[in-house]
Amino acid sequence: MTGSALLRARGVTRWYGRESALVRAVDEVDLDVPAGQTLAIMGPSGCGKSTLLHLLGGLQRPTDGEIWLAEHRIDGMSERDLARLRRHHIGFVFQSFHLMDELTAVENVELAALLAGWSPRRARKRAMHLLDRVGLADRAKHLPSALSGGQRQRVAIARALSNEPLVVLADEPTGNLDSAATLEVLRLFEELRTAGQTLVVVTHDARIAAVADRVISMRDGSFADDSQLAETAAGAGTVYGGWR
Amino acid sequence: MAGRLLLVCRLMVRDLRRRRTETVLLLLAISAATATLTLGLALNNALAQPYERTRAATAGPDVVAMPGATGPEALAALAPLATAPGVTAHSGPYPIAYLMLTACGRTVPAVVAGRDNSPAALDRPAVTAGTWVRPGGVVVEPTFANALGVHIGDTVDINGHPLRVVGTAVTAARAVYPRADWRADEGSPLTEFAGLVWVDRSQISALAGTRPLSYTLNLKYADPHASTSFTHKSVGGIEYTSWMEIADADGKLVKQARLALLVGSWLLTVLAVASVANIVAGRVVDQRRRVGLLKAVGAGPAMIAAVHLAEYLVIGLAAAGTGLAAGWLAAPALTNPGAGLLGSTGTHPPALRTVLAATALALAIAAVATLAPVLRAATTDTVHALADAATPPRRRGWRVWLSRRMPAALLIGIRINARRPRRARLVMVNTLITTTGVAALLMGLAQDPRVKLGESELANPQSARTLQAMFLVIVVLCVLALINAIVSTWTAVLDARHPLAVARTLGATPGQITAGMAVAQLLPAIPGVALGVPAGIGLYLVASTGDPQYAPASWMLALVLAVLLTVAALSAIPALAATRRPVADALQSTPT
Repeated sequence: MTGSALLRARGVTRWYGRESALVRAVDEVDLDVPAGQTLAIMGPSGCGKSTLLHLLGGLQRPTDGEIWLAEHRIDGMSERDLARLRRHHIGFVFQSFHLMDELTAVENVELAALLAGWSPRRARKRAMHLLDRVGLADRAKHLPSALSGGQRQRVAIARALSNEPLVVLADEPTGNLDSAATLEVLRLFEELRTAGQTLVVVTHDARIAAVADRVISMRDGSFADDSQLAETAAGAGTVYGGWR
Repeated sequence: MAGRLLLVCRLMVRDLRRRRTETVLLLLAISAATATLTLGLALNNALAQPYERTRAATAGPDVVAMPGATGPEALAALAPLATAPGVTAHSGPYPIAYLMLTACGRTVPAVVAGRDNSPAALDRPAVTAGTWVRPGGVVVEPTFANALGVHIGDTVDINGHPLRVVGTAVTAARAVYPRADWRADEGSPLTEFAGLVWVDRSQISALAGTRPLSYTLNLKYADPHASTSFTHKSVGGIEYTSWMEIADADGKLVKQARLALLVGSWLLTVLAVASVANIVAGRVVDQRRRVGLLKAVGAGPAMIAAVHLAEYLVIGLAAAGTGLAAGWLAAPALTNPGAGLLGSTGTHPPALRTVLAATALALAIAAVATLAPVLRAATTDTVHALADAATPPRRRGWRVWLSRRMPAALLIGIRINARRPRRARLVMVNTLITTTGVAALLMGLAQDPRVKLGESELANPQSARTLQAMFLVIVVLCVLALINAIVSTWTAVLDARHPLAVARTLGATPGQITAGMAVAQLLPAIPGVALGVPAGIGLYLVASTGDPQYAPASWMLALVLAVLLTVAALSAIPALAATRRPVADALQSTPT
């Protein structure tokens, strides 16, 4: 890997189907995400933005191209190595939250840290700290079914941060939320940006794009526009503030 | 490491608690198989142990000698045997008469043994009820008494002489009813079915009247090989019957029952595997998003497999314990002392071999049934799992053409099966095994359960025990099949709630939806039933001895209809309940 980009993609392509039914979900995309940058990827439904996010996070393999995260080329990694990479370096936030129904909020948050090999005591301490940061310390022992949509997404964000990832990838994080809950999530993303957490958000929501350092528009699997909106919060470095 | 271990345990415990019903169903399914295996192994011991216990308790002889001659000639022939080299103890000679006994209006052949009141060195029959022989009284072997329907205090008639039944007793020196070896002519090697009774030695001549008396001599040898090197032999006009032949004859009483239980345990094992696979497949389908999430946060395939397998292996271990206890507690019902022997299998803890076999079976069922879905879950595509998408059926031109001409219910049924083809295969296995078991039972019921004694017919304890064992297997089989059917329809309805809701928005009526769900279950059930009937008949013919009778065709037809109607009804009920839910509710889902 060259340059200072934390996340780098070159000629990344992802096809579905064959012959006449071939769909180019992502078509030869080049991307550099420096450490500490908040990047918003926007575009209409079906333009390939979620697929790109999955490719960047190693959840799917590209048909062609190269993807680098930090010093690791991930597009050819084995499933086991990809799992290890996600465990230690990537945090995911999903539109549908994907919390474990049977685990409490704090147990959901410490899930990633425990998988990363943290001791139970350290994982719990970190989880409680993060729940406190997202304003849900008093809801730590609640099951997801007892939380509102916004609270669930805040738990999901805390979970994504529990293993101190290099990058957080968020797929339509406000897609299932009402306005009030969306504002809560926006506030958190703003804090993360300020703290220098590298963040890639796929969204339809212009309000999320507004808090990003950079916005990329996608259409038909390719980048249509790439706008640098603000100075990267931490420049080339990382200032994690209260999130660490 | 500690953190991951904590995570595996936490996910396992929480999931078990969250899915209590499914956990109980899994426990029941595996327990049923282990209980039947335990029962089969317990009955295996029953072939030998009760006889051995009876032999020990009654000082049973190694060999019983009986000359072909009668009267003084027989006594003369037996005299040298008592002091023959190698003989360490003897009892007798005791007089034997082959007479007709009349009780409860039926006249049957009976072997009448004359005995003293004083205890003998060998063959001291153990009184199981009432008292030992006394003048005017008769003691009846308990299985024979049960078949005759006589009780202590009743009066029976032996060769025209009324005698009061004073007790019941067991012996290891002669096989139990109906194999007591009655002979129409004294000294004849040809034997007939009969029961054994004891009378006071002083009375036997009077009871026999003009018929000459036979005699038996019980022998014990210093060298055990002297009695185990043969089962039956005839030397110098004397028949020698070893204890092994008597044990074998007694074992025949439960041999068929044991075979029925062993075959039943195989069927139940297959059904349990199908049942567990059915439940696990349903759970894994339900847990696909959970698997996707775990993978997204960095769990590797090994971790995913560990989380799932740990859960099922714990259930397997619990089921092994439950099955062992249930099988062992049920065993005495099939091997009680009513068999004419002392003791039963339930009086001692199960052998280590039985414990190991039941545990291995339970774990094997859990592992075999869960391995495929767990591996599939571990290797599934993360994004696909997170989206929880069903397998899209392959689109072929002729299928599309055909589907356009099908009634709505049939089309819905076929589409549901196409979404989850494995579930359809499990429904077929379920109905195949259940129908096989019940068809074999119907064959058993079609056989004559009575044994001919002279001109009369009495209950055959061997048939009764075999049918009892078969009923036991069938009840467990049907319970398991019912669980399978309920789980299968329940998961099918849950899994198909979205496509069915879409079908309703497109105009499908609740009736069509309900019929569609029933069709989805019936389509794989029909080949299962069609194969199960001949399989059950074949199984019975292979396992049975003699010349079995075929069950009437109407019974088999009723079986086919009953199975199919049950399947249809079981699918229609949850489907009907699902159609009562508003379409909008079904279309909406609340993510967590």
